[in-house]
Amino acid sequence: MPRLRRRDVEASLSFSGSYQHGFWAFVGAEDMTGPRHTLRGTESTLELCYANGAIVELTRVPDVVSDTDLRDTVMRYFASCEYWGNRSIEAFTGLDEGVGDAFINFNRSISHSFRSQPLVERFGQTQRRPKVSIIVPIYGIGDYLFLQSCAFAQGRDIAAYEFIYVVNSPELIEQLCREARIAQMVYGLAQTLVALPGNAGFGGANNIAAQFARSDRLLCLNPDVFPRDRDWARRHLDILTNLPEAQTRLFGSSLYYDDGSLMHGGMYFEVDSGFRFGADGTTRRGVVRVEHYGKGAPSWATQYVASRPVPAVTGAFMSIDRAWFEKLGGFAEDYVFGHYEDADLCLKSLLAGTPAWLHDIGMWHLEGKGSRRLPQHEGGALLNRWHFSRTWLPAIVPDVVGRTPQHRLLQMTAKAQVPPAKPLGTKSAVLPPRAGAAKNRTR
Amino acid sequence: MPLRVLLISLFHPELVRGGAQQVAYELFQELRQRADIETFLLASLDETYPSLFKSGARITGFDGRPDEFLFLSREYDYWWNKLGDPLLIEAFIEFLQTIRPDVVHFHHFLTFGIDLISVVRRVLPTCRIVFTFHEFMAICAANGHMVRRTDGSLCDHASQVRCHQCFPDRPPEDFLLRKMWLMRHLEQVDRFACPTRFMIEHYVNWGLARGKVFHISNGQRSYATNPSRANGTAQLDRSGPKVRFGFFGQLHDTKGLHILLRAIDLLRAEEITDFHVEINGDNIRFASAAVRAEIEAFLAAEQQRSPAERLVIYNGSYHVDQLPQRMSRIDWCIVPSIWWEAFGLVISEAWMFGKPVICSNVGAMAERITDGVDGLLFEMGDPRSLAAVMRRACAEDGLWQRLHDAVPSPPTRAAMADGYLRLYRDELTA
Repeated sequence: MPRLRRRDVEASLSFSGSYQHGFWAFVGAEDMTGPRHTLRGTESTLELCYANGAIVELTRVPDVVSDTDLRDTVMRYFASCEYWGNRSIEAFTGLDEGVGDAFINFNRSISHSFRSQPLVERFGQTQRRPKVSIIVPIYGIGDYLFLQSCAFAQGRDIAAYEFIYVVNSPELIEQLCREARIAQMVYGLAQTLVALPGNAGFGGANNIAAQFARSDRLLCLNPDVFPRDRDWARRHLDILTNLPEAQTRLFGSSLYYDDGSLMHGGMYFEVDSGFRFGADGTTRRGVVRVEHYGKGAPSWATQYVASRPVPAVTGAFMSIDRAWFEKLGGFAEDYVFGHYEDADLCLKSLLAGTPAWLHDIGMWHLEGKGSRRLPQHEGGALLNRWHFSRTWLPAIVPDVVGRTPQHRLLQMTAKAQVPPAKPLGTKSAVLPPRAGAAKNRTR
Repeated sequence: MPLRVLLISLFHPELVRGGAQQVAYELFQELRQRADIETFLLASLDETYPSLFKSGARITGFDGRPDEFLFLSREYDYWWNKLGDPLLIEAFIEFLQTIRPDVVHFHHFLTFGIDLISVVRRVLPTCRIVFTFHEFMAICAANGHMVRRTDGSLCDHASQVRCHQCFPDRPPEDFLLRKMWLMRHLEQVDRFACPTRFMIEHYVNWGLARGKVFHISNGQRSYATNPSRANGTAQLDRSGPKVRFGFFGQLHDTKGLHILLRAIDLLRAEEITDFHVEINGDNIRFASAAVRAEIEAFLAAEQQRSPAERLVIYNGSYHVDQLPQRMSRIDWCIVPSIWWEAFGLVISEAWMFGKPVICSNVGAMAERITDGVDGLLFEMGDPRSLAAVMRRACAEDGLWQRLHDAVPSPPTRAAMADGYLRLYRDELTA
């Protein structure tokens, strides 16, 4: 059972030690799907059996809440927990003991329920067979649909793309339908809205939207991604046409902040070590940290945006061969709300033999502005980091760790260094510096 | 085939007073007198005028006037400058298809939505789209004034961080999006017009193509009952010192009435009281609380003085038809605006009556008035500087006459219409 620090208990007992008096539990998750019938206002009794044989009965009138409210409540609580020692390590240790899995199962059942009830609205005349299906999940903020419509509606070859917005916020759907209708009138844009009755999370939403795609190429975008130049759609198609399939099966793009500096030139993994000091001795635990190449670098620092295989690319802009996406099983739906699904998918792809690539298309990414961040998302982020670390640490260490990982598929082969048939814009394809390659950056 | 021109105006001047709508309407009236031009006016109305909203209607006629229409705007998003209701856009499309204009001339995007420009381009692909700027609304989210909310200083360029400083609740990224959104639609415009040259520089620095932006002065019909400034001359005949100052305009912060009142306080403290100031205008409800309180306290204190001691007379609001009478009571017109001013219609109005203008030394005012030649400039926002200029205006022999003689004729509405017709016909080159 996860333990935690209770300052109120410490104060009440005038306790000055480092004991974690508190605990929390998440039980009965397997019984929790489907309708449950509890009379509001009736008392329930919880029996606590201590290891020393003591039994305590707690009688309370429980709050009866919906599944999604319970999910939010638990994640808000988890985010607010305090511990003695390293916060992440203590929180993760608590999750190890069953509560983490129980909650992930519970969340998965919620997501599954939502994603199995999509309402699909189509606006405008769609072309018979688009070449690319753009999929954008919307959560919390409705303004990005009209902003993306205006930005994406122009530019060469955009007619070969279809737009699918998958909506995780049902309260936005009427506004979004109006916006889609306006986009149809103002730009002649055809859009599909896939409305879900609740937040199915990033993975669930993208996966269900992919089922409505009519092309062989999925382009997953965040709502806060915008083209820097209007030829981006053609450049994306050129990459698909001109580069070897292995370099385009799954790829991301250079992304830039609003200030013009680089936001993303691919992602890599570092492993942080945390320590836990208990009665059973000191334990060290590795926690995976996802970093971006060249974050904040000036836009002329082309080494970060050169075409190359990278450990992962962000889901803010991810172009995937549809068959490959389906073969990999789509995005994982284990993550709560969203985070790490992109890195997870890239690692699955790498293990299946195809690394993610980065190509320099150049888009704005107003990171973090496209959705609303709530306190429960902090809890989700912590739980997701735990789940991602325990899932992928064995695969990441030692070959995929660090800025210059040793994994053979992440080495540029001589063949891969041949520049593409059509140059991608004006930037030269400079390889990233390999000077640090010799250093073993794992700990 | 006559040229069919649709003018799109923010509000109708008959319903909501304001410079942009006044200019649009002057142009409408002038074009209607021209041969081979068919002119239509679509003026917006917002929910502040519910009595003219007809159930289920989105565009209606206006008061039995031929070719004048009202666009019944509602639920307008003033941040993104867009409509949220597809039915209004449908109605606009139908209206365009009915009127079939060769030229659509926007005088604003407010209350219509910037994306209606793209609608015009889509519905009428060969239509010529003209846009006149009446302030800096596209560049500046702070009412288009380009006055920094942080310290009231003039702003010379927008950027994500600078705009965020004026709107701390909005992240810098919102301003990248705002510009992208507005620019995307403004790119559909064939020709832009600004009433002053300095405005062109602001818009070109912001990103509009220089070759698309033209200078066309705002023109008005002359309100002087006798043409050629007869009224002013009549006053001139009344010999005596030129010590009567006038303020004309909205009582908003940006018009700077409070700067004038502070200058009056300074002169009074110096025991200079052989002058008086007449204030003409209203809409003090749109002033900030602090400025409103300052103006109201000043006027109340003035009321407490004996009539002989009063330096300030408040005449209330006025219609342009009352200008001859109001202008006949003053010698100098003071324009103490604390923003750039896009054009300063009041300068033209003062010129109609031969009144030299005393104004802030920035923007449109500095462009139109040459200090010591046809008017006097003072340091914007500085009551001491204004007080010094007023002192000089009262005291310097022959100054008023010299400036009065040099006051130019205001731009006419015929000249404005000629300019726009050349723009519509693509006869102007940058």
